[in-house]
Amino acid sequence: MSDPLALASGLAPAGDLAPTGAAFRLPPVRAYSERKPLKASRLDQAAAKVVGRVRVGLAGWAARRYARIARNALARSEEIAALSEAALHLRIQAITAALRARKTFRDADIAEAFALIREMSGRVKGQRHYGVQMMGAAALLDGRIAQMATGEGKTLTATLAAGAAALAGLSVHVVTVNDYLAERDAEEMRPLYAALGLTVGVIKEKQEQPERAQAYACHITYCTNKDLAFDYLRDRIALGQRASDVRLKLENMHARASRLAQLRLRGLHFAIVDEADSVLIDEARTPLIISAPAGSQFGTEVLARAMEIAGALSSPEDYRIEAAEHRIVLTDPGRERIADLAESEAPGQDSAWRGRVTREGLVRQALSALHLFHRDEHYILRDGKVVIVDANTGRVMPDRSWSDGLHQMVEHKEGCDLSGARSTLARMTYQRFFRRYPRLSGMTGTTRGVAAEFWTVYRLPVVRIPTHRPVQRRHLPDEVLPDEAAKWRRVTARIAELHARGCPVLVGTRSVGASARASAYLTEAGLPHTVLSAAQDGQEAAIVGQAGQHGRITVATNMAGRGTDIKLGPGIAERGGLHVIMVERQDARRIDDQLAGRSGRQGEPGCFQAILSLDDPLMESGLIGRGLARRIMVLLGPKHGQAFGRRLLRHAQRRTEHLHGRMRADLLHSDQMQDRILAFAGHAE
Amino acid sequence: MSQSLFSQSWYRVAPLRPRLRRHAEIHRQSFRGEVWYVLQDHQTGRFHRLSPAANLILCLMDGRRTLQEVWEAAARRNEDDPPTQDDTIRLISQLHGSDLLQGDLPPDLAELAERSESTARRTLIARVKNPLALRFPLFDPDPVLDRLAPLFRPLFSIWGFAVWLAVVVTGLVVAALHAGELTGDVAGQMLSAQNVALMMALYPVIKALHEAGHACAAKAWGGEVHEVGVMLLVLFPAPYVDASTSAAFPSKWQRMMVAAAGIFVELFLAGLAAIVWATAEPGLVRAAAFNVMVIGSVSTLLFNGNPLLRFDGYYIFADLIEIPNLGSRANRYVFYLIERYVLTIEGATSPVTAAGERPWLFVYAVAAFVYRTTVSIAIASFIATQYFVFGVLLALLALFGTVVSPLVKGLKFILTDPKLHRRRGRAVLLTSAAAGAAFALLFVVPLPYTTMAQGVVWAPDDTQIRTGTDGILTTLLVEPGRDAQAGEALAKLEDPSLDSRVAVLEAQLVELRLRYDAARLGDRVQAQILQEQIGSTQEILRVYRERQAALTVRAAQGGRLIVPGAVDLPGRYLRRGERIGYVLTADDPVVRVVVPQTDVDLIRSRTQGVAARLAERPEAVRAGSILREVPGAQQEIPSLALATQGGGTIAVDASNPQKPVALQSIFVFDVQLAGGLPFNVLGERVYVRFDHGAEPIAWRALRSLRQVFLSQFRV
Repeated sequence: MSDPLALASGLAPAGDLAPTGAAFRLPPVRAYSERKPLKASRLDQAAAKVVGRVRVGLAGWAARRYARIARNALARSEEIAALSEAALHLRIQAITAALRARKTFRDADIAEAFALIREMSGRVKGQRHYGVQMMGAAALLDGRIAQMATGEGKTLTATLAAGAAALAGLSVHVVTVNDYLAERDAEEMRPLYAALGLTVGVIKEKQEQPERAQAYACHITYCTNKDLAFDYLRDRIALGQRASDVRLKLENMHARASRLAQLRLRGLHFAIVDEADSVLIDEARTPLIISAPAGSQFGTEVLARAMEIAGALSSPEDYRIEAAEHRIVLTDPGRERIADLAESEAPGQDSAWRGRVTREGLVRQALSALHLFHRDEHYILRDGKVVIVDANTGRVMPDRSWSDGLHQMVEHKEGCDLSGARSTLARMTYQRFFRRYPRLSGMTGTTRGVAAEFWTVYRLPVVRIPTHRPVQRRHLPDEVLPDEAAKWRRVTARIAELHARGCPVLVGTRSVGASARASAYLTEAGLPHTVLSAAQDGQEAAIVGQAGQHGRITVATNMAGRGTDIKLGPGIAERGGLHVIMVERQDARRIDDQLAGRSGRQGEPGCFQAILSLDDPLMESGLIGRGLARRIMVLLGPKHGQAFGRRLLRHAQRRTEHLHGRMRADLLHSDQMQDRILAFAGHAE
Repeated sequence: MSQSLFSQSWYRVAPLRPRLRRHAEIHRQSFRGEVWYVLQDHQTGRFHRLSPAANLILCLMDGRRTLQEVWEAAARRNEDDPPTQDDTIRLISQLHGSDLLQGDLPPDLAELAERSESTARRTLIARVKNPLALRFPLFDPDPVLDRLAPLFRPLFSIWGFAVWLAVVVTGLVVAALHAGELTGDVAGQMLSAQNVALMMALYPVIKALHEAGHACAAKAWGGEVHEVGVMLLVLFPAPYVDASTSAAFPSKWQRMMVAAAGIFVELFLAGLAAIVWATAEPGLVRAAAFNVMVIGSVSTLLFNGNPLLRFDGYYIFADLIEIPNLGSRANRYVFYLIERYVLTIEGATSPVTAAGERPWLFVYAVAAFVYRTTVSIAIASFIATQYFVFGVLLALLALFGTVVSPLVKGLKFILTDPKLHRRRGRAVLLTSAAAGAAFALLFVVPLPYTTMAQGVVWAPDDTQIRTGTDGILTTLLVEPGRDAQAGEALAKLEDPSLDSRVAVLEAQLVELRLRYDAARLGDRVQAQILQEQIGSTQEILRVYRERQAALTVRAAQGGRLIVPGAVDLPGRYLRRGERIGYVLTADDPVVRVVVPQTDVDLIRSRTQGVAARLAERPEAVRAGSILREVPGAQQEIPSLALATQGGGTIAVDASNPQKPVALQSIFVFDVQLAGGLPFNVLGERVYVRFDHGAEPIAWRALRSLRQVFLSQFRV
């Protein structure tokens, strides 16, 4: 089934290459292209693991191949640089024809295409790609994860691969983590693509279907992972069952309101995922759900009674809070108490209290609302409404709601008007979605600990691309302090010291809440600083962009201002470059590395330091309690105590990584199980 | 696992409008006072048990209502305990998996193909996994049975039962009357080569009638029988019949009767055979009748009637106690108990659906497991002794199925099952503790190690008093039980012919001497002859005189005189060398112990103490020590009391009537008991225990396994 070039839609004639000639388009070979879902049996999985190991062993070989392509492309640069504008266009047309004639990319064609795009980029934008960027692009075309250090110019790298693939007739989706980046990158690269005869579309929030369809109809589409997945999901709803290729095409011929006309995408062909670890791994824990309003399930009095009963229960006799998994577990005595309380309070008039399952579900939701979901951490109140805060990014998600009546329960707890319950229309996971691309590739700064998962889940091998210049970042040893207060004292002292020297400082936190605390401490210490609100817009990018200036202090979460280079101000390099201080361990070591990668870009000097405490949220899932850990640290003395603390936090981090890895595996597994169980309901969306 | 009324994936099934396919039929049954519905799939012959709630959902699915409407209606009907959406999805999914649903969607051919492939694969794997019960279907007997129905239907009535009962009771009475005769030669008759051949010929016939019984019973109450075939049960062909449609019968007695019909048939045959056996003359007919009796009663009740094996008895039992699917639910229940109480998993679901099932499930699971494991290992080792390579392979397979595969499954559960999340530490700890304890018990903890053997009280040969010549014992000169001095006369024998012979010889000698004196001066030749005759006669006379002297039996050594049966002795004619009794000192009687060769090495090298109990006084334990041993193996056994016929443990070659000769080499030890033995127990059986100190069980098992391999497989 891997003949992606033949399947590619939008096989344009040569005339289409002129920037203005996008009017005529041949009908697509496939009405809606996507890869058939993998039916992975246990044997396949085992074999995939073995193949994955072998592939890791052969990664060096692949990297050599990409280096050869890059060398070949560079070898042509002088010759191509000498070409006239018209001659260059002719060469581009020639390579377009060559690429389209084949189903697979030949190394020689890739080198030629890269050399031409590079030259065009140089003429249009004045930026010519480095060798390592061409290596990375070759890896992308080959369907791999290119591991490129932060600051190596991933946006520019993507243009090579996206350009070459688009020339070959594939519809390319360049997936970024937020709207701002999508728009910025698209606009930045639009002149280059236009010069190549390629159209660029951008998907933004609040676009309607026709607009989106138009954007997706372009050769290259910049979009966020969320928009893309949801658009695909909406397409699947529109397509429904009985959506075979032939049926759709026939329908398109005779029916006026064909399903094809309601679609947004042209199918899935080739995707380049920026920040692949964040999109494909971290966000893969949350399923995507499209829902529609459906009348309220339970009235206020039922919710009120649930809350009352929940208030009457006590932990740990009646229920246990499993913080690590964010759930409530009722004990057997607890179940009995619920039954008694429900009996006494509601003498049988409401059916909700008679059924054991319903009853316990309600009380569990009430307990969750009371003990697991906290205001200003998991949600905020805005205009008398409960608005969810994304735990990953710290952004507010106004159109999201919790399922199974939990949202109403939280609303009731906060005394808001109850919103209507919503019923699911379609459900999707990133794992399932991205696996449907016949050709998937990604770029990321770090794949530490997840390379195996990239392979087993997405069949994506990782290739490490060398840096353009050697890394000059210094890593200071982690400091572990016994508690939060001591940590902040140390952090402010350190920042004050650096600030006095004029060093720019970036404080990396884990959550928006921690950012707020950091800000409070810094204000108290009289240090001028800027806090990023994770709004992910142009202003935020501007702040991040300024973070490298003399004497700047910036507080940001890991996700804030991602994808924006922090350029050093004049004279900063001599002062040691940007100093990054991490005040909390992130959920995964990989994300720590990304934070570190904020400094020391492209061979500039930089410094990374972690000042942590045993009050770190990660310690929740640690091996031993905080009190004990503190005592042991004191007992061991300053030197060994530090080492002990570091190891303890690392261990807690590894546990969290493991937990999240398992949650993703569970989600994928249950997704597959669902498919089997729901076989009678036709194909999954 | 937290249960919720709503399901995340409900949206995918809510708009479907499925209905049950036409070849499915629902029957109402009651188990333990609760109503259940049994869904019969006429196409595959499978059955699905449905709760009333599930049945309601099924009945509401008419192809016009959407599942959403069906579920809402079902939830309204069961307000107290509405079916959850997940339950509903699971039900629909199971029905779909059995091809019982017809929906408004076109069938997904790829999915169908995949499912049929996986079914085929599972069947194959089941066959490979269980080569001891392969099934080969032959034909569909339903039309034949339909035609024959008028013939056998009357049998399944009160009159049929009366006839059956009469025959079986008569057979029983006959058998009871001939009980001695019957039990006396069972072993001898059954195991002779001739009889085995006869049995092999009869067995398939009886089993075919047995299966015919099932088929007829199923047909008699309106069931269908669509499969007859041959099953290789432990490589031995046996017919089988698929009477599973009886599961749809509403009355449990009818269901039980179908399952029991085979046993009824065999018992009937056994009853008839008993009558024939009792009346027939010895010959082939009688032998055949005897075999039918044994197969039809003993073997049927032991195997078919045994609820612990998955034969007829199991189904009868399950129906009797009204716990359908007893075997697998029993296993699940034990597993649930472990999950719930040992591993403390809160979400564990119990398979118990009715009151009073718990003890049954628990006891059945444990008993069946122990029984099945024992039987399958016994079968495997039996086959292994017959055909080495094949047998060892089968034994390994049996071992794999009963020991290794559950262990691997358990280990996998402990290490990877998501249910154990957050309990895994505890689970691993408990499992390793249990495994460690088992290991310690087997390999580390030394347990008392002994060998048991039998012997007899034995007097050494030099203490026996034997007659020196033939004669009638007239008197015992020393009272038995009294001490005698060495050389003292103990008994007097009488041989009148000997006295007269001596008198004749003396007279002859006198005559010869006189004739010699007369001839000496005259005829020198004659004199010479006579002298020779005198010499010869004197010699003969000396011999007779010695015999005469031997008529007085004397003690060779001092000690107590023991004469077994002393009262009967005077007046008896004794041949030369016959034993009169013993002259024993207190140390003389020993216990002569006979041990098979497998135990010899242990007794020789590791005996740390010997204890013995006399058969007449088993309560008294007496210490002893090995006095001497016969260095070589021998076949003769010292006393018949030690042979199996005499109640001992040594198998004796029955084909040698002269002397008791053991089938396998035996070794003889003499054990001296501290404090000596009373003289009145000579020849009595003694139970002897050789103590080898202590040793962990596993090492012993390894030793005996090695011996088994050496002796059975010569490897």
